[in-house]
Amino acid sequence: MALEYIGTAFMTALQPFNLLVLILSTLVGLVMGVLPGLSATMAIALLTGLTYNFPTQTAIISLLAIYVGAISGGCQSAILLNIPGTPASAATALDGHPMALQGKGGLAIFIATTVSCIGTLLSVVFVLTLTPLLTSLALKFTSWEFFLLSIFGILICGTITAQASPVKGWISGILGLVVAMVGLDTVDTIARFSYGSVNLMSGIQLIPVMIGLFGFPEIVRAFKRHSDDQVTKASKFEMKKGFSLIFKNFGNVLRSACIGVGVGIIPGVGEDTGGWLSYWATRSLAPADEKDTFGKGNPKGIISTETGNNSCIGGAIIPVLSLAVPGSAPAAVLLAAFLMHGYRPGPLLMSESPDFLYNVCIYLVFASVAMWLVALVLSKLTVRLLGVNKKYLMPMVYALCVIGSYLINYNLFDVKVMFVFGLLGIVLTSMNFPAAPFLLGVILGPMLDSNLRRALRLSDGSFLPMFQRPICIFFLAFIILLILAQLGVFKVLKGKKLAD
Amino acid sequence: MKKILSVLLVLALVASVSLFAQGGAEDNYPSKNINLTVPYGAGGTTDLTARSLANAMGRDLGVTINVVNTAGAGGSAGTLNVQNAPVDGYTLLANGMLSFVTLPINGYTDKTFRDWDVWIATYAPNVVVVPANSPYNTIQDLIEAMRANPGQITIGTAGIGSGGHFGAEVLKKVAGADYKHITYAGGGPAFTAILSGEVDVSTQLLAENKDAIISGDLKALCTLSDEPITIAEGMTIPSIKEAYPEAASMLPMGEVTGILIPKGLEEEKLQKLDHAFDVAINDPDFIDFCELRSFDITPYGRNESQAYLEDFASRVCWMLYDAGAAPISPEEFGIER
Repeated sequence: MALEYIGTAFMTALQPFNLLVLILSTLVGLVMGVLPGLSATMAIALLTGLTYNFPTQTAIISLLAIYVGAISGGCQSAILLNIPGTPASAATALDGHPMALQGKGGLAIFIATTVSCIGTLLSVVFVLTLTPLLTSLALKFTSWEFFLLSIFGILICGTITAQASPVKGWISGILGLVVAMVGLDTVDTIARFSYGSVNLMSGIQLIPVMIGLFGFPEIVRAFKRHSDDQVTKASKFEMKKGFSLIFKNFGNVLRSACIGVGVGIIPGVGEDTGGWLSYWATRSLAPADEKDTFGKGNPKGIISTETGNNSCIGGAIIPVLSLAVPGSAPAAVLLAAFLMHGYRPGPLLMSESPDFLYNVCIYLVFASVAMWLVALVLSKLTVRLLGVNKKYLMPMVYALCVIGSYLINYNLFDVKVMFVFGLLGIVLTSMNFPAAPFLLGVILGPMLDSNLRRALRLSDGSFLPMFQRPICIFFLAFIILLILAQLGVFKVLKGKKLAD
Repeated sequence: MKKILSVLLVLALVASVSLFAQGGAEDNYPSKNINLTVPYGAGGTTDLTARSLANAMGRDLGVTINVVNTAGAGGSAGTLNVQNAPVDGYTLLANGMLSFVTLPINGYTDKTFRDWDVWIATYAPNVVVVPANSPYNTIQDLIEAMRANPGQITIGTAGIGSGGHFGAEVLKKVAGADYKHITYAGGGPAFTAILSGEVDVSTQLLAENKDAIISGDLKALCTLSDEPITIAEGMTIPSIKEAYPEAASMLPMGEVTGILIPKGLEEEKLQKLDHAFDVAINDPDFIDFCELRSFDITPYGRNESQAYLEDFASRVCWMLYDAGAAPISPEEFGIER
């Protein structure tokens, strides 16, 4: 039976019209991913309307291709401009941009694109084989687990991005959390820090914050350095070198894919967190002498992040199919699209339309291969961005930032938000506070706040249940380790100062 | 590189032109695409219903109806956008009536449903569900347990003022005892919470729980509709009034979804929308969609909708106000108890 379904899905995907739609959708997804401000969620939402009148299978191929394309495209702007195209690729910029500055931009993009493809493919294997098991894992996550996971995410992001002083990273993350508190809270629907403004009551939108935080410092920097008329040379892909690097790091790829799938299946936690966790795992498992090279153009960083965020796709689709609960924001829109096309994901899917699971998996395989090909062609054009004088490039980037912020809710207020956080981004960067934990704080803030309060309400204010759950103990152990490691460093530093 | 950028710039121009090219006098309405604002994110009940309707209505009007998701502030942001937009028939709103009729008593606006022309399309009932391994097998078991442990039974919903919250308030009135309200950031998280057993009971809409009830992962105790509902062969969920007739005055409880436009549009244009709405609710795709989700189709035109909303708003607003979840008395807006 399974083989028959797979065969049919293959034949459907190979129809000329569907192949054409596949390539075009992948291209649209990639372009949206590359452009800061047009996120995967928005790409799928926009195209859901457009594909409404397509034949069902064609529409689903199109939507999956856009999803894969948009998550993968974000790495290009992260590498070339140091401005992540989507929140998911914020961690890619850490090593990708330094590589581009070293004249290895082509290689970086090649690696990122290839592991994105591999990550998606690996996650499909998980969907095909482990869906029932992973679904039950997703249901193990209750309020306490969500709370600890969000703390853990912000801590590791802070540690990674501000290596010299993780405390600066943590401070940045906490500032992000504070920003996330603005607006109606999801527990009691009380308006917080909104000062009577309906716009603030809606909360601070994530995308304008991201565009401002990452975009503005780069734009300003382009005009600050006078000596910087020297332009980085556009570089070759170096496919052979790229493949051998990926091959040598295959353990890294596998580990990141597992982490990505794991993060993907947890409802509400998505591609952005997946990338950071994979990066952290790779860096902390690296030999001591190699740790310092992370953040300075180590290809391993790119490999783990891009595998991690792309394998979230498969992970996020698992609960969509088995529970009709999306694992991430783009998957939520995807679920809506499935429902609109008459499919009924959820506990009855396997008995009512068992072919659907196989269709989705095969289309994902096609989408990731198409993404690889289209992205490499596209990047032949985008790497030339490096050759353009930043003084001409950045004003255009600025225009894109404004348009991107406006398009999210067609609300000029979001443009103002972008501007304010842009200024904040400049201040943060000039004081060496990393922007990435701030962004992750904004992403995870609502989750942290509402889950802690919900958990405490369920337990009548007692923290005891937190210590009685296995997954919680696991997170607690890591959180304590991270903090202890930090305190230890302080002690050593103090000892040295005293000795001086 | 220049090519891409020029393409992008053209795209951006096209986008901005189409965004700002509103207005202009014309005789043959509609002469351009219509925007339908959904004040929630893509994928929710309101959004899916709106898209389904928009598709069929657009076909009748001969234009495309674009669904625009303007989420935020409990549905008030998108609603206020439409309220403040020019009333030219090119900006419509699709909304759930639970949130819509309670906007004034929550202090978001001075306008009530009486200031809008409304077409009501669907009714989605609440259902009371418990996990498969729950000790409660009937609604009586649950109500007795609520009476025995006031304030201890946890009920999970999609938040204050959500469809589930009103369902929980009905149970509270029937039991005469309070419950512990656990709110989630939407129907999806509330559904996972009842599946994983984090909460004892969920009172969300039937559409969200239907498949899990059929598959046996959840037990349905009763619905809050007027009639029993058959969701699959040999699977009928009783109405709460079979066990508790006194609940009848609060029924039917659930989400009611429709298309709205602020009053003031010319009668001629309204009649075109009337026609499109009639066509849409008889569209086979729309009927299939409603059947799949267990929605009742409620083909209420403008006048019937106003009459329906008078009763609906009175029940819903006072229930929310009595529960202490709304700051302003419905009386201030002339909504009688």
